[in-house]
Amino acid sequence: MQYAVELITAFLGSLGFALLFRVRREKLLLASLGGLLAWGIYLLMGFATDQDVVRYFAASVVLTVYGEIMARVVKCPATLFIVTASIPLIPGGSLYHTMQYFMHNDLSACLAQALTTVLLAVSIAVGMLCPTAVFHLLHRRDYLRNQREKRS
Amino acid sequence: MGTASQSLPPEEAGCFALLAEAERANEYLYHVLDIGQHMLQCGGEVSRVEDSIQRLCIAYGAERADVFTITSSIVVTIYSHKFGALTQTRRISGQQYDLHRLELLNQLCRRTCGERLSLQEMKKGLEEILAAPQYGFGVQLITYALVSSSFSLFFGGSALDAAASGVIGVMLKFLDQAIRRTEANAFLSALLCSCLGGLLAGLAVRFGLGDSVDMISIGNIMLLIPGLALTNSLRDMFSGNTISGLMRFIEATLLALTIACGFALVAGLL
Repeated sequence: MQYAVELITAFLGSLGFALLFRVRREKLLLASLGGLLAWGIYLLMGFATDQDVVRYFAASVVLTVYGEIMARVVKCPATLFIVTASIPLIPGGSLYHTMQYFMHNDLSACLAQALTTVLLAVSIAVGMLCPTAVFHLLHRRDYLRNQREKRS
Repeated sequence: MGTASQSLPPEEAGCFALLAEAERANEYLYHVLDIGQHMLQCGGEVSRVEDSIQRLCIAYGAERADVFTITSSIVVTIYSHKFGALTQTRRISGQQYDLHRLELLNQLCRRTCGERLSLQEMKKGLEEILAAPQYGFGVQLITYALVSSSFSLFFGGSALDAAASGVIGVMLKFLDQAIRRTEANAFLSALLCSCLGGLLAGLAVRFGLGDSVDMISIGNIMLLIPGLALTNSLRDMFSGNTISGLMRFIEATLLALTIACGFALVAGLL
């Protein structure tokens, strides 16, 4: 039940941010579905491991692959999907708790939470980087092949 | 007596041609930078902006284009044997995600390079993109409510919390709009918004219109908190744009501290 609520609100939250970021029409739905997918992967990975870093990493890899594929299908920058779909993953909650500890003058807990926040952000960032690098390589290979064919 | 150009020695005539060519190249470069500036301002990645500017310059006849972009500035030097080396810089301020505009700018850039659009056509394309309509204020209000209540539920709040969060979200949008009109500093805006958010969440719980201040606040905070900026800053750093990444990282950290400060101020009062 809790999972269903999380998935639905992940979708709605991404939709809200897609509107904030001024995404248009059919891409609204595709981008918010990316958010749903990302959170789905996070929850699924929960059965395999309880390491948050691994779960966030896996989810961001999948959402970036989704973004890059969608970018090629509907012909627009992959950023549009990646930025919107990563909304449920971004460590806003963790950052909020960091701020809370800071407000309650619990500095050691604040530092620990801050480190967790940065670590989560790093795992998301690295997770996004890997598929992007692969897609770039593929793109480059196609480009070079086209150039060769043009010349011959 | 012949005309002036006929009587000039050949090397000086060549010099004038070079100057005329350089003047034209400068004008092209100016408009290419316009595209780069808008791309950066509506949320394009540093690498995308650099790549686009370089492609545009080369499509318009530069033999070499060196582009250096950070979040607050673009520097471009183009070189060709026809006009020598030319440099222009542009200071960039203010960033607001507009992914639809980014998409259109990207298309324009591709079209310009692929179909060799003339400068006039490119300028017209850019004007059309900038004139495209935005979402109205009503839609923005609904968006703030939607985001707030969604994340309140997402982090485990009750239905009542979500409703309270949604209403507070709408009020935050009004405040945000009022502040935006005065063109105040981004940190001041975050401070005021977080003060109002914390105050209203505290009052809502006190009068029984919500169950938990935390769960109400977290929905509102998702609108303010620089979680995305933090993630993007790390992404920038990992992809080799260290300076941009560091600037964004520090900005995000300061913003988070400002928001914490706003909530702390109100928590002290309540």
